[in-house]
Amino acid sequence: MKWNIPSLKDLERYYWRCTACGTCRTAYNYGPPPVAKPICPAGTEFGFEGFYSSKGKAAFARGLAAGVLTFDDPEFLEAVYKCTVCAGCQHQCQVDFKPYIPEVIEAMRREAVNAGAGPMPLQKNLIQSMKNYNNPYQGPRRVRTDWTRPFKKAKKPIKDINKEHAPILFYVGCTGAFNTAARAVPTATASIFQKLGLDFGILGENEVCCGSTAMRVGDAEEFKRVASANLETFKKLHEERGVNRIITSCAGCYRAIKKDYVLATDYNEMMEGIEVIHTAAFIHRLLKDKELAFSKELPWRITYHDPCHTGRHLNTFIVDKDGSQLWEGAYVDMDESDCLYDEPREVLQAIPGVELVEMERIRGNSYCCGGGGGVMTGFGEWAKKNASLRIQEGMETGADKMVSICPFCHYNLNEGAKSIGSDIRLVDLVEMVDQALGG
Amino acid sequence: MHYMFDEEHVDQGVLKELRSIVGEKNATAAKHVRFAYSYDMSFVQPKMPDYVVMAQTVEEIQGILRLANKEKIPVIPFTAGTNIGGLCIPERGGILLDLKRMNKIIDIDTESHYAVIEPGVSHGQLAEALYKHKLRFGWPVGPPSASVASCAISHGIGGLNARYGLNSQEITSMEVVLPTGELVRVGSCAIQENAWHSVLPMPQLDGLFKGWLGSTGVVTKLGIGVHPIPPVLKVFTVSCSTVEDMYSYMLNLSNYEICDDLTAVSWWLAQVPIPYPYRPKPDGAPEWFSFANTNSFTEKEKEARVEIWETVVEEETKKGTSIKVTQYPEEALRARTQLPSQIVGSTKNYCKMAGAGISWPGTFTPAKKWAPVYNRWKEILINANLSPSVRMSMYRGVHYGMLRAMIPFNKQNPDDVENARRAIVDCLKADLDEGGLPYKPPVDFAEQINQRAHPGYLMLLKRVKSMLDPNDIMNPGKLGI
Ligand SMILES: Cc1cc2nc3c(=O)[nH]c(=O)nc-3n(C[C@H](O)[C@H](O)[C@H](O)COP(=O)(O)OP(=O)(O)OC[C@H]3O[C@@H](n4cnc5c(N)ncnc54)[C@H](O)[C@@H]3O)c2cc1C
Ligand code: SF4
Ligand code: SF4
Repeated sequence: MKWNIPSLKDLERYYWRCTACGTCRTAYNYGPPPVAKPICPAGTEFGFEGFYSSKGKAAFARGLAAGVLTFDDPEFLEAVYKCTVCAGCQHQCQVDFKPYIPEVIEAMRREAVNAGAGPMPLQKNLIQSMKNYNNPYQGPRRVRTDWTRPFKKAKKPIKDINKEHAPILFYVGCTGAFNTAARAVPTATASIFQKLGLDFGILGENEVCCGSTAMRVGDAEEFKRVASANLETFKKLHEERGVNRIITSCAGCYRAIKKDYVLATDYNEMMEGIEVIHTAAFIHRLLKDKELAFSKELPWRITYHDPCHTGRHLNTFIVDKDGSQLWEGAYVDMDESDCLYDEPREVLQAIPGVELVEMERIRGNSYCCGGGGGVMTGFGEWAKKNASLRIQEGMETGADKMVSICPFCHYNLNEGAKSIGSDIRLVDLVEMVDQALGG
Repeated sequence: MHYMFDEEHVDQGVLKELRSIVGEKNATAAKHVRFAYSYDMSFVQPKMPDYVVMAQTVEEIQGILRLANKEKIPVIPFTAGTNIGGLCIPERGGILLDLKRMNKIIDIDTESHYAVIEPGVSHGQLAEALYKHKLRFGWPVGPPSASVASCAISHGIGGLNARYGLNSQEITSMEVVLPTGELVRVGSCAIQENAWHSVLPMPQLDGLFKGWLGSTGVVTKLGIGVHPIPPVLKVFTVSCSTVEDMYSYMLNLSNYEICDDLTAVSWWLAQVPIPYPYRPKPDGAPEWFSFANTNSFTEKEKEARVEIWETVVEEETKKGTSIKVTQYPEEALRARTQLPSQIVGSTKNYCKMAGAGISWPGTFTPAKKWAPVYNRWKEILINANLSPSVRMSMYRGVHYGMLRAMIPFNKQNPDDVENARRAIVDCLKADLDEGGLPYKPPVDFAEQINQRAHPGYLMLLKRVKSMLDPNDIMNPGKLGI
């Protein structure tokens, strides 16, 4: 399978478009009332320009291209990895660099990997684990289905799609399967599907990591290996098991399949007849179609955290590719219609008893949970600290729970809450939906 | 852009001392960090600092300056580096003093209408805080992340300049660390710790730190006047075909002093983005657009302003000028009324088309000289294949005017950068010859100013500078002296 993954050189003309204006540092909304808050977790923590937002990343890219900066310098290498690739900076920028910002950050990491320097030592374990176990958590294959045991016990086994037909593949993702704290996510998802009487199956022990983390830390080869395997599996499941919809509750998997897999030259052919949808959007659709109704009241005051991967990472940037509208390579506009901003909120508000109170930084301006881009693995303590900042923001709303739609956020934000002794807990939307469905 | 960095002067002993002042994590000589401070958007040649230090307290700044003064190391104050003049690019290496983390809003006095802020407070941050009290300040059309204090002490301009003058005229009091490390205060806070209402009626020592481009001390607290937000916005927009007609209209309207902002932009600047390279204006399109922002407390007050404006338009029409009531392009208008602005702040309309470079001859020029200077600028810029994207604004009634060309260029190509630099400096010379003066001047401009300066002025400037900064450590070279 061929992949169009750009090199730093391919992106040169875009990072040269950064004007160094620093607008990318602030989550800004004119309002009124105006909102202006920090947006960059790296800048917030490390402070120096360079760490700060896409202005800093453009500086690094230029320094690399000019040969002034090299990956022989371990401090520089680390600086390139001290970014959650949350795309918060990208959301603010308005120039032609905008559509390519996370790509430039990751392309620098790919350079680092190619130079034999990257990723960070702990991230190297993650990549090795992918190679050995097809997941980043050094989890043995059979552990992947541990979360399904209660279903077996309750005589409600989940279909093994390797053996049986089903129109829906529930793509579980490694974090939900292996991270014990985040297992509530797949459990609740499967429970909802069963309550709704959906015909779905899982790949179980044969599920292979989506490759998102490998891509985020710059190991394109490892990403390509798993992504190619997955695309082939999806095609096969479509042909042989009748799968026409892949549902995932993981923001990382969703982003990878929607945005990274399209870099495969034959993506369209491989995915023909298959819809990829996040559970939150799927539930929202059922709700709108009146195929789902909540029977139980949840008297909770909640605030919603937009994961980067179901939010601004799904922005579509309209770029004038051939120069017919503005000029070649011009950033024309941003289309947010693929971002899951409204869907989870509407689902939450449909649950009886729920009161939604918003934080100041939401939607495209949402502050990252702090664990993305390999940071949770590479710099665990910093990831926790980031998360605690978001938790504090949540606490300021007076909410007793924070809701998200990403097992990464689930784990990291709960770690952040614990680290500052906050009572607030992160629950996933699917957990709430499962409870509100009763039964 | 060329990166021609001098050999390095990093002294581990100095770094250690800096770290002992601000903490291990807040001082560095790491090359990638220094590199990120070596350039800005302007045509100014990149240069690296030797150390970057992030201070968070007044005591830390005092410690840094004492050390720098003892060791004779340059210190360059920096908050966001968006000044468009290379003003934070270290001419002679040294310590880049990053103040963006000193970002506390110390007080908002909602009765006496002033705010006391640290230097790292950004326009966005202050706008958010003031709005809660329905108060405002003169927000520039610059990035929301840029510093209020840096703008004000650099004679920056904002959206209330027609009414209240420059942002530096809003300064009510200051606390400053001198290059030798002493802490001083000017204005009312000098006499009473928590009185920040006025620099008058005392000798105006605040002048020692305004317009000096960070070369006389580090401002650590600043008092500024803030104003109520009148709820009724009315923007009057006209267009015309000549700069002379536009001047006539603006002079007439300005005499009534009803506007918060009275600005005209040439066709090229009204485009989002500015065309690069130069593109002729389509036939029949007006060459000038003006927007006059007014804010009123009541509908009746607005009606009175409308009446005045209509009279002005009528008078200008009677004179036979080409003034026409018009619509201003929507996005461009938003960019200039919804401040701070992401559209302009993120340089979208300034240099999106060109590629990363912007510089200006940004000047205060008597309004009666706008027309001859603009006509000269047009020749110079079009000859250099650059858009004459010019702005003219009336300040504080008709007392002085701002004349500025925003010139985008392609920063990736050194020839394009040099072409823009040359044209911009030529424009500046033409303006200086007519009595205009550049603000936030890059070194190239400072040299031009000094060539024309009265010897007594230069002597005084040097004497004050050496009194405050005997070892010439503060942002050395920036004033061209
Ligand atoms: C697109 C765009 C549009 C702009 N429009 C405007 C505009 O309309 N009006 C306007 O005024 N400006 C404008 N600017 C320029 C600039 O954004 C503002 O003046 C801004 O407020 C400067 O803040 P800064 O934090 O970037 O200052 P910096 O660039 O960091 O510093 C500016 C100067 O102040 C000195 N300095 C900084 N802090 C201190 C301190 N604490 N003590 C002493 N000296 C200090 C520095 O050494 C330097 O000389 C614009 C810029 C851009 C990019
Ligand atoms: S990345 Fe965009 S917003 Fe940030 S400094 Fe560069 S141009 Fe400005
Ligand atoms: S992607 Fe996020 S963490 Fe990385 S530089 Fe941008 S805002 Fe900062």
